[in-house]
Amino acid sequence: MASIALKTFTGLRQSSEKTPHFAVQRPTKTHFQKARIVASKTSPKLGNRNLRVAVIGGGPAGGSAAETLAKGGVETFLIERKLDNCKPCGGAIPLCMVGEFDLPLDIIDRKVTKMKMISPSNVAVDIGRTLKPHEYIGMVRREILDAYLRDRAAENGAKVINGLFLKMDLPGDRNAPYLLHYTEYNGTKGGVGEKKTLEVDAVIGADGANSRVAKSIGSGDYEYAIAFQERVRIPEDKMAYYENLAEMYVGDDVSPDFYGWVFPKCDHVAVGTGTVTHKGDIKKFQLATRNRARDKIMGGQIIRVEAHPIPEHPRPRRLSGRVALVGDAAGYVTKCSGEGIYFAAKSGRMCAEAVVEGSENGKRMVEESDLRKYLEKWDKTYWPTYKVLDLLQKVFYRSNPAREAFVEMCADEYVQKMTFDSYLYKTVVPGNPLEDLKLAVNTIGSLVRANALRREMEKLSS
Amino acid sequence: MSISMALFSPHASLSPYSSSHSVVTHKPLFTLRPKRSSFVISAAASDGNGGAGVAVSVAEEQPKAEAANGPVAAASASAVETEEEAAVVLNSFKDPRWVNGTWELKQFEKDGKTDWDAVIDAEARRRKWLEDNPESSSNDDPVVFDTSIIPWWAWMKRFHLPEAELLNGRAAMIGFFMAYFVDSLTGVGLVDQMGNFFCKTLLFIAVLGVLLIRKNEDIETLKKLIEETTFYDKQWQATWQDETKKD
Repeated sequence: MASIALKTFTGLRQSSEKTPHFAVQRPTKTHFQKARIVASKTSPKLGNRNLRVAVIGGGPAGGSAAETLAKGGVETFLIERKLDNCKPCGGAIPLCMVGEFDLPLDIIDRKVTKMKMISPSNVAVDIGRTLKPHEYIGMVRREILDAYLRDRAAENGAKVINGLFLKMDLPGDRNAPYLLHYTEYNGTKGGVGEKKTLEVDAVIGADGANSRVAKSIGSGDYEYAIAFQERVRIPEDKMAYYENLAEMYVGDDVSPDFYGWVFPKCDHVAVGTGTVTHKGDIKKFQLATRNRARDKIMGGQIIRVEAHPIPEHPRPRRLSGRVALVGDAAGYVTKCSGEGIYFAAKSGRMCAEAVVEGSENGKRMVEESDLRKYLEKWDKTYWPTYKVLDLLQKVFYRSNPAREAFVEMCADEYVQKMTFDSYLYKTVVPGNPLEDLKLAVNTIGSLVRANALRREMEKLSS
Repeated sequence: MSISMALFSPHASLSPYSSSHSVVTHKPLFTLRPKRSSFVISAAASDGNGGAGVAVSVAEEQPKAEAANGPVAAASASAVETEEEAAVVLNSFKDPRWVNGTWELKQFEKDGKTDWDAVIDAEARRRKWLEDNPESSSNDDPVVFDTSIIPWWAWMKRFHLPEAELLNGRAAMIGFFMAYFVDSLTGVGLVDQMGNFFCKTLLFIAVLGVLLIRKNEDIETLKKLIEETTFYDKQWQATWQDETKKD
């Protein structure tokens, strides 16, 4: 959410304007091109069959990957262990996702158009004044979104398998297939599925933060945050306040390196917090978050408690052989805001596009280099976004004075406009240089003042 | 820890949120007056509750109470927590000059002009109070205070100038002795030193050192900061290192 284009702060590679929608590019390679190793040209044509690809995991990443693969003429298998899974999640999607993925408006429960940022000393700032009438942050229920994307993939020809991926046998030689072992659940067996195997030529691992595919290819570990959330049903009058407003609480009491939130859902609110470094104290942080929101959620009943891991950075190896990771399995969650749904869906689509292109619509075998193209494109397109958010987290989530300065900065209209433009359309927007300079000066001013106050505070306690 | 979980679960399963916590007798009702003794009272009260570690948990919300030795600490931590919550409900931040979620500057007047130092002091005290006793943010009386209403020169006078004096003093002392030292070693006088490139570089390093390294720990901090700036980039590029190695 807080993705501000601070050109003066960082010497980023400013990507020139990017169109939010990426069409599948048709390769213009000639048959005899030897300058670059274009592996798909040297990989064998698959005579009488199409390329077989398995997508493990049926969330946003898996669903969109399967859809793009199926549309591209690849024989697609989508393996999902729990078709009615209510994945614990913040549930916020940016505006561009609705357009890019053709989402119907009825899967959006709520359109958030206002956000309130609350500092450690309860300074509350409203942001959202600069939003145009058609702009909003969509709040969705994951079970609805995931099911929609999966069904669309199935409509386009993907085979959805209700099963749990167990392990994968790596291929013996260059063009041998991968052998997947999974447990299929069908109604008859009543819970204990039957073991099955599946031979495929390539695998896309979209099975989330605890990815088994990642383990199978030895892609290494990452640090992750624990997000803890309680769903609270609050009385009608209090719910009216959250009609289209989400809140973000920052402070050492709420989280040492993340933020606490109150997000409105379909008919209740989700109150939660998260942390990377102090996972053992998550309950304490949750109590503090509830305390800070106490007046606004008073009289509420907790209807559900849930927790989930959030990756902090990509895994060391996102690709091995003909197996690629996308979404949370790859670790594509931004810092500072912890946003993952859009990036999961987008990376699934991008990876699938790379497979379709490399295999020429399923007619040829793919190679690792084809999948690497997806990594290249991904890194090039979204690296500035990730880096800016990382910088923001490092600067503004560092300490209470920094958080006070952060909230103070958010009161500025230019900041709000930049933030929302970057968040809603997922481009790092190059702003007006004069305003950027003013912003930089104001930021430094806020930080200096907050830190000066902190030193006064320390004098008081000593 | 199962015991701390059990202690926390009453909070979690508390169906309707009620503000009727039992009043704990220890905590005296006090409004925040600009006296340091108020914090001493709160520390003493919670000390009476048992466990020196507990006073720490009131003063700074450190996880020490949880990590500390077992049920006793956890029990007293939870008791302090209820006491703290009760205290918060009973005495939220109150100050006669804090009106409508901001400091009323009229009340800070001294000799017809606003006493900015007093405003800074008051805000520091408010933030300290809230850090120790986090309060619920409320829609009825929102906090709208912005530190930028205090003019830049008030901040300069109070914070920048004393520090600048300190740092300039250090730089002057280092400069004098380095100039003397270099002169005694090489015979090059001060004016000639300023013309020499090597001496100018040394001067630059000395100034940077004085600015950046204020305490002994700063050296480590600086090293960590430099590593931090590129850490995220390295994590992202890890997948590419793999490719070059595989050839």
